[in-house]
Amino acid sequence: MKERSYKANLLIEGMAKKLNRQMVGSLVACVHCGMCTESCHYVLTNPDDPTYAPAYKADRMRKIFKRHYDWTGRVFPWWVGAKSIFTDEELEELKDISFGKCTNCRRCSINCPMGVDFATFNRALRGLLVSVGVMPEGVAVVSKDQWEIGNQMGVLPEDYIDTLDWLSEEMQSEFDDETAVIPIDKLDADIVYTINPREVKYDPRTISDAAKIFHIAGENWTMPSEGWDMTNFGLFSGDDALGGAVAIRVYEKLKELRGKKLVISECGHGYRSTRCEGPNWAGIDQDFIMESSVFTMLNYIKEGKIKVDKSKNTGSYTFHDSCNNARSCGLYEEPRELLNLVVSDFREMYPNRNENYCCTGGGGAMSMSEYTSRRLKSAKVKADQLKATGANIVVTSCHNCVDGLTDLIKHYDLKMEVKQLVNLVANALVIPEKITAPEVPTVEIKKAPLAGRKILVVDDEPDILVFFKSVLEDNGAIVFEASNGEDAISIALKEKPELMTLDINMPGKDGGWVFENLRRNPEIASTKVCIITGRPELRRLIYDRPVPMPEGYLDKPVDPDTLLFNVRKILEVG
Amino acid sequence: MSESLHFAEHRLQEIALLVMACVYAIRIFWLTRYKAGRDRQMPTGPPDTNKKKGILYSLMNIMMPWAMESTRKHFIIYSQFIVFHLGVTFAILMSFLIPYAPDTMKPVWVIYLFQVVIGAAFIVGIFRIIRRFSKKVMRAISTPDDYFSLILITTWFLTAFLSVPNKPENGETIMIIYFWLTAFFLIYVPFSKISHYLYYPFTRYYLGRTMGHRGVFPLRGSRQSK
Ligand code: SF4
Ligand code: SF4
Repeated sequence: MKERSYKANLLIEGMAKKLNRQMVGSLVACVHCGMCTESCHYVLTNPDDPTYAPAYKADRMRKIFKRHYDWTGRVFPWWVGAKSIFTDEELEELKDISFGKCTNCRRCSINCPMGVDFATFNRALRGLLVSVGVMPEGVAVVSKDQWEIGNQMGVLPEDYIDTLDWLSEEMQSEFDDETAVIPIDKLDADIVYTINPREVKYDPRTISDAAKIFHIAGENWTMPSEGWDMTNFGLFSGDDALGGAVAIRVYEKLKELRGKKLVISECGHGYRSTRCEGPNWAGIDQDFIMESSVFTMLNYIKEGKIKVDKSKNTGSYTFHDSCNNARSCGLYEEPRELLNLVVSDFREMYPNRNENYCCTGGGGAMSMSEYTSRRLKSAKVKADQLKATGANIVVTSCHNCVDGLTDLIKHYDLKMEVKQLVNLVANALVIPEKITAPEVPTVEIKKAPLAGRKILVVDDEPDILVFFKSVLEDNGAIVFEASNGEDAISIALKEKPELMTLDINMPGKDGGWVFENLRRNPEIASTKVCIITGRPELRRLIYDRPVPMPEGYLDKPVDPDTLLFNVRKILEVG
Repeated sequence: MSESLHFAEHRLQEIALLVMACVYAIRIFWLTRYKAGRDRQMPTGPPDTNKKKGILYSLMNIMMPWAMESTRKHFIIYSQFIVFHLGVTFAILMSFLIPYAPDTMKPVWVIYLFQVVIGAAFIVGIFRIIRRFSKKVMRAISTPDDYFSLILITTWFLTAFLSVPNKPENGETIMIIYFWLTAFFLIYVPFSKISHYLYYPFTRYYLGRTMGHRGVFPLRGSRQSK
């Protein structure tokens, strides 16, 4: 008899704990009719490869289930397509299908006449693989961040608070009003506002836009100092324990602050995880109000708490429904209602609402760089949908979709911009007389804010070096460049920069080597470091070193504003 | 009527039905042994949706070809599905009518009706066999049971079609084959994918409950915005 690996054994045993009636129903009910095939964006872009068909992918788990948990498969395995797994290589193949060929978008589930919910049991399969340590590196890194640091982008508590303080100062000076602040840990607030860590790291404008809206609406609101990350990587990794722990962190903070309502900023995966799945993973009944900020903003306008002028938002707009919002939480009408209140030229995208196609960055795909080419190929479906609208701005209520769409827009050269509703509402705000805002709003960059600051840019890609150098020099920095590890250390020793932006994946001495050598050399150990990588899973190379952590992380691709924002934050330039 | 045909029409069918009922009961018991997951969160989605509406919509979904993109875009396949399943219903009904209410099968219009429906189902069966063998994706997802079940039912349609006139005096062989195939079909069903109709109410019920609670069912589909 064939010997089974330890991990394969564990996975088979673990399956018993994952099975519930819904899942077993979905596992036994498939008639292999193929009706779901064309609902999947992977199939549409790989028509000749049947391994992308939802039923084919579903059968990878179904085979194991049948072989071990369904007696028809135990008695006549070959006849009913039951098959066990034995080796770690087979587990890797399962990983490739489960993580790399499906975004768990649930489009096939709503198109199956039998009611087979493949996306749900694919998540269970991911959870089983994760439980035996078989997962894409990016999933491991992000899960680790969320378990250990409390948010999925590894934002340190001091960075989070610093960012909010910094944004508060900006808002105070914008409104010339001492009370225009982002309250932190205020007790008895009517709204406790939770966000996606991406907002702190890459898109702080969404936080300041929301703050502006709350301020003008006269809201009694706060942001929590902990439990502020409403995203939940448990949704993508299938790890219910992580899902429950993260959800509880958020719910408990709300209770500790005696907040009345939890408002979740615009994020499909965050909304689904916190609002629609969290209580189930955590095993608690929801006993307080949670809502998406889309509802909050819409109600402000309807109740007259804020006034908007749609003529301020020029251009033509379309709306992309996030799969998690539309197909798992029924959130698809309100964003349209709100959008129509703040823009004049709205063009529907087809198909839409429950039938919309995934941005192709869902299901955690943005953190699995090994599948990037597959993802971008499948994004052709979305690119065609976007192009057909003729709009020049696509709006979405999801941070994950912002990244997925931005990436595909660049890849397919669509000349479109991605925005969120919060940006448009904030921009359309009619500021009441007594609250005067200056002409140029928010994160205005002072002339040459980095004047005289020495920065060493380390990257093996010449284009990146040129790009970083020009952005930083335009803002007054003195920039040095190094395209390999050895040069980076020698230039650092010679020029003593204040900050080094460091790529990890370089030929020869990689970023990990540079980082450790820098930290171990007392002459340059205090140089601030911002890791900038296109492969977040490689952050492990940094984590695993027994030296103080870097001051910042950024994922490529990075736009000039994000680069500048992070550099200024690390160098504490106001 | 020969003894062989009498046995095939009566005792054989009764045994087969009994076996099928027992195996079905075991299957249902097996399925219900798994705990049903539940939604602990408050409902989401449009205020006019709820669990009950979701369940009802989900169960009726199969009769609404416009509701799902897959059936909308593949209306021919959907129509084939209807014809095929009507054929199954008529062929099974006939296995009761011939032995227990033979008079109902006497009017010419009844014979024509049964022959048209079962004949059409047979043609659909042939199309389905061709589709399953010829399409790469269908081959990739098919098991031996999928092929066998389809061929079995299509053959059974043919024997049912020829047995509709219920004239043993013109030759019993085809009727004996039809009744033996019916019995085999009944016994084989619980072990094969044909048992999907047993699971259908479960999967659709639970999907409807989940999606209704979340405001996803009834599906809104792609609509023009205001
Ligand atoms: S999942 Fe549903 S639609 Fe897809 S092959 Fe199975 S039964 Fe058919
Ligand atoms: S859940 Fe989405 S990505 Fe996965 S198989 Fe179904 S349609 Fe394709």
